[in-house]
Amino acid sequence: MISSLRRVGQHVLLLLSVLGRSGEIWFQAVWRRPRIAHAPLLIRQIYQLGVLSVVIVALSGFSIGAVLALQGYNQLVKYGSESALGLGVALVLVMEIGPVVTGLLFAGRAGSSVTAEIGLMKATEQLSSMEMIGVDPLQRIIAPRIWAGFISMPILSLIFCVVGIWGASLVGVDWLGVYEGAFWSAMQQGVDFNSHIMKGIIKSIVFGLVVTWIAVFQGYDAEPTSEGISAATTRTVVYSSVSVLVLDFFLTLVMFNF
Amino acid sequence: MQMRTIEIVVGTFLLAGLISLAILAVRVSGFTVNPDQQSYTIVAKFDNIGGLVVRSKVSIAGVIVGTVTEIRLDQRTFMAEVAMEINSEVDEISRDTTAAILTDGLLGGKFIGLSIGAEETYLKEGDEIYDTQSAIILEELIGKFLLNQF
Amino acid sequence: MPDSHVRVENVTFSRGTRRIFDGVSLEIPHGKIVAIMGPSGSGKTTLLRLIGGQLKPATGKVWVEDKCVSTLDRNELFGLRRNMGMLFQSGALFTDLSAFDNVAFPLRIHTDMPEEMIRDLVLIKLQAVGLRGASQLFPSELSGGMNRRVALARAIALDPAMIMYDEPFTGLDPIAMGVVVQLIRTLNQVFGTTSIIVSHDLQETASIADIIYVIADGKLIGAGSPEELFKEESPRIQQFIKGLPDGPVPFHYPARDFKEELLEGGDW
Repeated sequence: MISSLRRVGQHVLLLLSVLGRSGEIWFQAVWRRPRIAHAPLLIRQIYQLGVLSVVIVALSGFSIGAVLALQGYNQLVKYGSESALGLGVALVLVMEIGPVVTGLLFAGRAGSSVTAEIGLMKATEQLSSMEMIGVDPLQRIIAPRIWAGFISMPILSLIFCVVGIWGASLVGVDWLGVYEGAFWSAMQQGVDFNSHIMKGIIKSIVFGLVVTWIAVFQGYDAEPTSEGISAATTRTVVYSSVSVLVLDFFLTLVMFNF
Repeated sequence: MQMRTIEIVVGTFLLAGLISLAILAVRVSGFTVNPDQQSYTIVAKFDNIGGLVVRSKVSIAGVIVGTVTEIRLDQRTFMAEVAMEINSEVDEISRDTTAAILTDGLLGGKFIGLSIGAEETYLKEGDEIYDTQSAIILEELIGKFLLNQF
Repeated sequence: MPDSHVRVENVTFSRGTRRIFDGVSLEIPHGKIVAIMGPSGSGKTTLLRLIGGQLKPATGKVWVEDKCVSTLDRNELFGLRRNMGMLFQSGALFTDLSAFDNVAFPLRIHTDMPEEMIRDLVLIKLQAVGLRGASQLFPSELSGGMNRRVALARAIALDPAMIMYDEPFTGLDPIAMGVVVQLIRTLNQVFGTTSIIVSHDLQETASIADIIYVIADGKLIGAGSPEELFKEESPRIQQFIKGLPDGPVPFHYPARDFKEELLEGGDW
């Protein structure tokens, strides 16, 4: 009994120390005023993390929007309420599916690549040599990636929602015959910018920060061996994904129920 | 890849984000950016507003002419007081107009439908519509139906 | 002592529960080639990091040019590192930059020189290591030896007064090794650069080192010129120098009696 308590205690302490270390890294990387000279680095990272994720985000958004329209129609038509399809799909996408699925995709695509890249730089002593030359790797390598994630995620989430709604309209209006006017007007009436869209954007910003934070830390802390990097990459995807889902619940609770 | 190209692509990406936001704002949530839109406010009191909310639409003959801006409880009469902003171009709403709370479709949201009356004097800023019809509450309807049966 | 470039005073350092240094003191004079040798895992690379200020000793002090490294703030450390070059074991070139940009990196960080000047300096440094023609190639397109030579060019980009070499000979073919030895010697003789070499390659190192320090079990167990060390009687140093498989550093990992263990397996 005591030994299992002790083990739990050890795990908690380990978790706290990890949190502390990663928080310290994050803090040191982001707190110091970003230098203008580092702007090209930031732009390159936005390209790597954001632009290169657009295709996967758009494809997924379109598919999910179309599926939601399909399934939604099947259910609503039983009550003669197909005209609410646009509203339903839009709300679900903007408030939940958009930020969450984009977060998961981002964790898998961008998060894992960041971890692998930083882990590899650590293993080949590039981070060390950078430090010896007198450049702070936290500022030059870590910070641009954190800011890039912070900026890219909301944009990707918005793109997801727009493409998703478009896909839903193609399925609902053009294929299944929902009256176009009702589709859009119910949506416009029911979706509120501040209470729905803004909250979705806030979620995506939070997810972007969390995923990038985890990805960067796992890479920085990885064992400098090939097994170490692969383990770190896996951890990034798993921890980020779970964090996104769990955070989503709490954010939804706070934002929509209080 | 050349830095120049990357910059252009990233700029496009950021622009796409802004455009998406704009699309969502306007097409999806019906955000109207009409700062020059002149409007005047009128009020109406109801016994029961049902599911009417702020930002619900106000329409005449099915055409949207305004929005609900405020809903308050009048603590003296315990009626719901609804304030709505009407488009200034629609300035010939007669004083004996009826305001009814209607439902859009079967599962749609509530909105206020105005039926224009016959009087020649029109509503101005701050005026009140006295002839109102509350929302149809399902339970009351069932109750009436049951009562009528027996 | 006014003539030492680096002074390590009674330094202890642990990683986790392992004591890496237990009261080590040594001195590195100006303009000399000093080798730090010892068995694997004796913390030789850690010593370089302590000198460079990447790590702080638990007790004791490290002095570089009469400045105590562990008490410097960020800006002072930045200034100190401008005068130190480090060659890492794997070269550690930045994989997303070309050879040219790698060598230009310290110049762009530490100086305000215009690009034309930087260009000329970079070409000069690459010429010194014989790789001027490869300036536009990326690290992934260069061989291991070439990687290390470009890294050396980067280490000397700012003409530092001191260069640290972490296992510079490991994994090189004889020709590449000869090139590196030659470069280290030239840099020292022509520019008077203090050179600290961490290595366990005895032959190559002894051929150019002025002083050799031998570290084992967290302590300094031998110091002196190569000739003096060869004559040292201590069995540990003798084992290291002669490359004997068994001696104070045992061949066998601790285990039970051999006969017993075999007999346990039963008959076959």
